[in-house]
Amino acid sequence: MTTTQQAGKQDLSWLDDVTMTELERNPYPTYERLRREAPLAFVPVLGSYVASTAEICREVATSPDFEAVITPAGGRTFGHPAIIGVNGDIHADLRGMVEPQLQPAEVDSWVDDLVRPIARNYVEQFEDRGRAELVAEYCEPVSVRSLGDLLGLQSVSSDKLREWFHKLSVSFTNAGVDENGEFTNPDGFTPGDEARAEIQAVVDPLIDRWIEHPENTAISHWLHDGMPPGKTRDREYIYPTIYVYLLGAMQEPGHGMASTLVGLFSRPEQMEEVVDDPSLLPRAISEGMRWTSPIWSATARISTTPVTITGVDLPAGTPVILSYGSANHDTGKYDAPTAYDLHRPPLPHLAFGAGNHACAGIYYANQVMRIGLEELLEAIPNLERDTGEGVEFWGWGFRGPTSLHSTWEV
Amino acid sequence: MATAISVSGRRVECTDDQSMLEAFLRAGIWMPNSCNQGTCGTCKLQVVCGEVDHGGSPLDTLTAEERAAGLALACQARPLAETEVALRGEEMGRTTHVLRDLTATVVEVEEIARDTRRVLLGLEEPLAFSAGQYVELLVPGTGERRQYSLANTAEEDKVLELHVRRIPGGVASEWLFGAAAVGDRVEVRGPLGDFHVPDADEDDGEPMVLIGGGTGLAPLLGIARTALERHPDRTMVLYHGVRTAADLYDTDRLAELAATYRGFNLVTVLSRESVPGHRSGYAPDAFVDDIASARGWSGWLCGSPALVEAGVKAFKRRRMAPRLIHREKFEPADAVGAGN
Repeated sequence: MTTTQQAGKQDLSWLDDVTMTELERNPYPTYERLRREAPLAFVPVLGSYVASTAEICREVATSPDFEAVITPAGGRTFGHPAIIGVNGDIHADLRGMVEPQLQPAEVDSWVDDLVRPIARNYVEQFEDRGRAELVAEYCEPVSVRSLGDLLGLQSVSSDKLREWFHKLSVSFTNAGVDENGEFTNPDGFTPGDEARAEIQAVVDPLIDRWIEHPENTAISHWLHDGMPPGKTRDREYIYPTIYVYLLGAMQEPGHGMASTLVGLFSRPEQMEEVVDDPSLLPRAISEGMRWTSPIWSATARISTTPVTITGVDLPAGTPVILSYGSANHDTGKYDAPTAYDLHRPPLPHLAFGAGNHACAGIYYANQVMRIGLEELLEAIPNLERDTGEGVEFWGWGFRGPTSLHSTWEV
Repeated sequence: MATAISVSGRRVECTDDQSMLEAFLRAGIWMPNSCNQGTCGTCKLQVVCGEVDHGGSPLDTLTAEERAAGLALACQARPLAETEVALRGEEMGRTTHVLRDLTATVVEVEEIARDTRRVLLGLEEPLAFSAGQYVELLVPGTGERRQYSLANTAEEDKVLELHVRRIPGGVASEWLFGAAAVGDRVEVRGPLGDFHVPDADEDDGEPMVLIGGGTGLAPLLGIARTALERHPDRTMVLYHGVRTAADLYDTDRLAELAATYRGFNLVTVLSRESVPGHRSGYAPDAFVDDIASARGWSGWLCGSPALVEAGVKAFKRRRMAPRLIHREKFEPADAVGAGN
């Protein structure tokens, strides 16, 4: 096997020097080298094998020899059973619990009425000001308010929802381990623990109410749907999945909108096209998701049997982290993948994952991002990036711009 | 020979000499269309099943990837077998004015400005259209078709009013500025185009700004008069941009409109000379100077590609929503090749 020989010949000792800080600041150089030299490799700082190319990510994500597993830091943050890390009957039950509200036809019936007024409200707060920091003032608030209202968390402010996902996010990606597999920064889980305590204090009384008086909110449906009359799902059983929503589903549409805007700002002529023809937004968003995948490296699989992938022998029980953000920069699939290009051939990307654990909210998230950007560009068609301020991306597990300062003439 | 084509569950016959767009429009099935010469891409649609010949579709407008993905330009494509297409976006299945072939009679040819003529064409029966649309003339003795916007409102459906600028050496100019005479018969096809006033029930009386370059004034006359009749109090500013005062026309007609409707203002803008009573420079710049915010306004642009592009930029700079920006680019008809 040529691949085996090549893999065997590669000196991967450089991986010993890779640090979490480096990955969080800019994971691309490390993963570019991984894709070239060892598309499935053990990365010591992560204590795990990592799949970095499109082909291997897809193969592992859809292989019958693997099942889902939550990363150790993710499991420490969410607890069990989180929908992203379980299999078999529990996974089927949790998917069956969340999916009915997320079917495209169902989402179409309410998403515009839910998201558009929220987007308009936030844009009205700054549209006459002539400048805004769009991550904190628009992308994140639109994302969290929409999902918060859908879940039944109208009583929780958008700023509190943003604080929760930020805290859960840093804990979930506190992945660094030492040679014994112990977390190198155990204090890194404190924010997530604080957030969980606050969430339970707010959500427990709501659950108490919804058990007695079901409402048309997502969490109320999760308690009741598919259960025998008079029975509800146990709250401890659904909390980990509530945390999955309060992190990923809250954070990522905001990341996706912001990254798409940064990408479009990098191609002013393409921004102009999208402003002039908002029907291009779904394509612009899809490219934004490929260009800077919000769930960059946050999901994993574990082998259920000894298996050989791209010449690497993995014993049963070997976790593999799927680096979708890297797979979406695979030069074997995309020309000049580091460039945002609205007009690149619209090949499928892996930003929403693959296999039976692919994102359940793909349709909903795409609609939130579309409506959010439609309203922003409708109100401010002369939007420009504030070139006096830099744009910094951050994150290895989850990735997006930390801020996006923009200006326009008023 | 005719081949069946269908869209949104409606099936029509497309003859060998028709584009799919023409066949649909003749059956009263509306679909987005603008230039009808394959350059604007407005009529791009999805071939669901069947097979089409892309005809004169330029690669710039319909890329190889798009062809591979089953897209086609309705104004260029012809069906090779029974074909079903789907419109993209929300424009499904609206009905429209039926595209027709008519014989018209030249009623009047009037010199209205330097190298500019008003041509009135009498019809034997009324033509249904929306103000702002255009017709194609078959230039007598040439086999060439040229496109001219209608200056009419929809009620003025028996005598079509066209404004024609002379293009040296152009086939239509040769005729209209030469042999054309009252009583001449001419073949007309129309109505065409998506640059037109919205239906009355979709017109909520929002403020409007219209910018016309030269004879780009023509469709704006129909649009402005229709919109003001519907909402007599609406705010409307019409910029007519030309090179010199000798290129201006219909200023009395527009002054009359301003006297009738309090909210209407005419601004004439000269780019090549400075004359009291007129602004100097370019119409889009005059708009930017005059209007602090066009949020909630609709905008209407008709003229050269450069004028339309500058107008779009000016409108967006004043925060007009792009979906409310309507544009009609005049490629000088005689400068375009043989067309379809």
